[in-house]
Amino acid sequence: MHLDAKIPSGPLAEKWDKHKFDLKLVSPANKRKFNIIIVGTGLAGSSAAASLAELGYNIQSFCIQDSPRRAHSIAAQGGINAAKNYPNDGDSIHRLFYDTIKGGDFRSREANVYRLAQVSNQIIDHCVALGVPFAREYGGGLATRSFGGAQVSRTFYARGQTGQQLLLGAYSAMSRQIHLGKITMFPRREILDIILVDGKARGIIVRNLITGDIERYTAHAVILATGGYGNVFNLSTNAIASNATAIWKAYQKGALFANPCFTQIHPTCIPVHGTYQSKLTLMSESLRNDGRVWVPKKPGDKRAPEDIPEEQRSYYLEEKYPSFGNLVPRDVASRNAKEQCDAGRGVGDTGFSVYLDFHDAIKRMGEDAIRSKYGNLFQMYEKIVAENPYKTPMKIYPAVHYTMGGLWVDYNLMSNIPGLFVLGEANFSDHGANRLGASALMQGLADGYFVIPNTLGNYLAEQTLNPVETDHPSFQDSHSQALEKMHKLLAIKGKRTVDDFHKELGHVMWDNCGMQRNAKDLEKALELIPAIREEFWKNVTVPGNNDDFNQSLEKAYRVADFLELAELMVHDALARKESCGGHFREESQTDENEAKRDDKNYSHVAAWEYQGIESKPRLHKENLKFENVQLTQRSYK
Amino acid sequence: MSWTVRMLNSSIGRKQIMAVTGLAFCLFLTTHLIGNLFIYAGEDAFNSYVEHLHSLGPLIHIAEMGLAFFALLHVSNAIVLIIRNRLSRPTRYAKYKSTGGRTLASATMPYTGSLILIFLIFHLLTLKFADHTDKTVYDLLAQSLANPIYAGFYILFIVAVGFHVFHGVWSAFQTIGLNHPKYTPLIRVAGILFSLVITAGFASIPLTIVLK
Amino acid sequence: MSEKNISLTLRVWRQAGPHVKGQLITYHLDDVSTDMSFLEMIDVLNEKLTLRDEDPIAFDHDCREGICGMCGAVVDGQVHGPETATTLCQLHMRHFTDGDTIIVEPFRSRAFPIIKDLVVDRSGLDKIIQAGGYISASTGGSTDANAMPIPTQTAEEAMDAAACIGCGACVASCPNASAMLFAGAKVSQLALLPQGKAEREKRVWSIVHKMDELGFGNCSNERECEATCPKEISISHIARFNREFTRAAFVSREK
Repeated sequence: MHLDAKIPSGPLAEKWDKHKFDLKLVSPANKRKFNIIIVGTGLAGSSAAASLAELGYNIQSFCIQDSPRRAHSIAAQGGINAAKNYPNDGDSIHRLFYDTIKGGDFRSREANVYRLAQVSNQIIDHCVALGVPFAREYGGGLATRSFGGAQVSRTFYARGQTGQQLLLGAYSAMSRQIHLGKITMFPRREILDIILVDGKARGIIVRNLITGDIERYTAHAVILATGGYGNVFNLSTNAIASNATAIWKAYQKGALFANPCFTQIHPTCIPVHGTYQSKLTLMSESLRNDGRVWVPKKPGDKRAPEDIPEEQRSYYLEEKYPSFGNLVPRDVASRNAKEQCDAGRGVGDTGFSVYLDFHDAIKRMGEDAIRSKYGNLFQMYEKIVAENPYKTPMKIYPAVHYTMGGLWVDYNLMSNIPGLFVLGEANFSDHGANRLGASALMQGLADGYFVIPNTLGNYLAEQTLNPVETDHPSFQDSHSQALEKMHKLLAIKGKRTVDDFHKELGHVMWDNCGMQRNAKDLEKALELIPAIREEFWKNVTVPGNNDDFNQSLEKAYRVADFLELAELMVHDALARKESCGGHFREESQTDENEAKRDDKNYSHVAAWEYQGIESKPRLHKENLKFENVQLTQRSYK
Repeated sequence: MSWTVRMLNSSIGRKQIMAVTGLAFCLFLTTHLIGNLFIYAGEDAFNSYVEHLHSLGPLIHIAEMGLAFFALLHVSNAIVLIIRNRLSRPTRYAKYKSTGGRTLASATMPYTGSLILIFLIFHLLTLKFADHTDKTVYDLLAQSLANPIYAGFYILFIVAVGFHVFHGVWSAFQTIGLNHPKYTPLIRVAGILFSLVITAGFASIPLTIVLK
Repeated sequence: MSEKNISLTLRVWRQAGPHVKGQLITYHLDDVSTDMSFLEMIDVLNEKLTLRDEDPIAFDHDCREGICGMCGAVVDGQVHGPETATTLCQLHMRHFTDGDTIIVEPFRSRAFPIIKDLVVDRSGLDKIIQAGGYISASTGGSTDANAMPIPTQTAEEAMDAAACIGCGACVASCPNASAMLFAGAKVSQLALLPQGKAEREKRVWSIVHKMDELGFGNCSNERECEATCPKEISISHIARFNREFTRAAFVSREK
């Protein structure tokens, strides 16, 4: 299979403009003849729904929650990057491009990342126009703050609720189109399969989560914006319902899955504390602007933090990376925290946390200034941990946060299945092996507001798409398969709950395919995962029926897919014998224990093709060409 | 015209009618109390105040009609709103506990309102529409308030007025939209003071008469 | 944090479907860690029910970090439980004592019909936003973000209102099941920002009528919404909503 990324020719800075001109258009009168399905209403899905509806397409939008406003983009805290250069600190589109591609450890496409940087400024403009209340300076201009992996202040924010505000902006734009009748909203629906007719994506089947009915919908193109698959680890910062079913079904229908092992472990989360724990809570990276990370110098030092004198503390990030200090990229910060804890210097009951201390910042700026910057984050921390972070340093530990991998897409954001577009975290496109803070919001909105409105029309204009009815055999087949799978799950009546299996899978993944990976562990995981899957299908118990509101069945259906996806992640991690970004192979590190890339052998996108559940997937490589940046060993010293 | 009708029939429109009429009653209560306080200047002073009022002729009738109209608006709207509010939660909670927003006064508005209405009718019957041929208003008043049971009920109703006003004043400002970080706390305090003054002022009269 | 285990008696509203009669069912639960969140406690109970082949308690939840607005129930008579500024997922069991009996009920309002157990249909809130809770700015035509300065204080106040997570606690806790705080927060946010001014009359007008049409109650300024709101949204936004409404009634040219 030849992977054509369809990257436009010409100089980097002109590619997108040139491409936009080259793309075929659909006339306004014809746009209303096309039905488009969009699955997911996070930043990417809702912005795409709104902007495509504005153009005149008929949109059918689907989400699992009771309202499109609840998608997990809402939980993003810190901010959104843009190359506005308002603070006059030397930022530019090229610098944002460079930081992002370097932050991603040179495993993303130059052209995609450059486009992302280019449209970043328009995103801010549009969000302000939609009424997003970004933080402002006293003069009334927009305020910015700095984030990991950058030495300029380019992150726009709305307190610690930037994701919420951006999502509500997109949701409001979407609500306007629902009101105008251009978007039909289907909440509480879970996608079960993608329907291909003549090899093209032409519809989906979904489960109505209230009635349990399986519903069929046809379209001229299908857009997946279903987010990442971090919940494969069970404990992550993702929402409970975040799942991989949509992209996994697409993969099983022939879409390639790119870089599945690229997982981001976020350094600043509230540490795990009990077996009943259902999720991990992130503390925004922006906290590292003012908080200082430290551990006691002496291993096993169990004194209270305030009793440990300054000289017996190790501010390890500041010591090791003087130029970026506490603001090194996420993968670096996470790995260093693990290193400290593994060396016995971890703090807290479990010894698996490090301090994030605001003492100096409070002394410098006063408690009120800190409260106005991070008040809601501090409040959240206090609620969960029952400790006052204004007085006692926060305890933090890395947790699974984001998946850079996803379905393979070309420059037009279309997968290798014609008519199947993938946006946001669900695709693999822009973050390489590590995503910089405040870039996910940027990418989701770039894809939805500014990329897909241009590229979708080109696909539609090029095709002759015959009408498809919901009684087409493809629909019948998928419908009966989905129903069969549900009946099977309900009929097992075993002795273990779905959560129990999910936890077991999570442990296997965290231990063997987590922050540090090696061939031995990965191979072990390749044996463990199929065994868990086998037991799942023999011994799980799912109460209730399929034609009813049944949250246990929803969960079981999702976990069944995680049990398959996990294996693909391990295959990919095993095949990529280099370290890069969030993928740290112990076999490939520098003398200073930093990730060591192998550009000669691995400067490619690993795109996997499904070969059946029990067979090893087939690897295809899309080679990455770097014409505008020098590949260097990332250094944040 | 449909705009006006739709405005006045909307939830906010109806609440604003409640607010405006309610505030008007507060003004009325103020003048009424000032008038009543003439009683402390003696029977003659009080009767001359009453005569003075009556001598206003058509003006007093207009004011009375205005008050009656406002009362009609206030009560009819209250009924509509209470019914709508009840309908908006058909199943009650098995257990409901305030999180700290409501006060005794705010929670009992429909009840204190009903009490006031009953009292008002009774009050008008015993004083305004009573047989005035051989008795002055002062006689009527002194006579009825001398009865400790009547005086007790009178005070009870005055307390109901106090409660109603306690929540009503700031609530009316809020409903009209007059809310400001600087002035709202003052309005609240003023509302409380007003309710205290009204209660104390009106209640002092039967107390004085009974205790005399 | 000092973790300990407590035992609880839960009386949970169980209702199989929208048109079925429901009732409070009693469950006993031992070894509840005080570090658990309320929803994790229900998870544990549900695991037990599942293994006993009973129907687990249906409840809405998603982000479990207090921002998606999906979760919510009335715990012992209080929406989202006894803690202020907290969603149900952020309520921790350390706020309960050993031996407590806790009544758990769904949000109750005519506009929020019950789907199952603690799950209710809050689509009315979306319909309020669809009626006008937006600025009609299409993608692509926006001027530079800094073209229109907005004073910090205005932006902050708009943000206070915009913090709403749409959980419906205001409706559930209001003695009249009114949506004034939810609707008021949106109207207020957009009325404060210069970008929202163009549509302000139309917006407030449509929203008020949609709210009434959906069967939400009226505001009698009981302030329960403000007291229970997980994002502590002030009723000063309701006042601005009222003001906007009056203003619209007089300013609008429509007849």
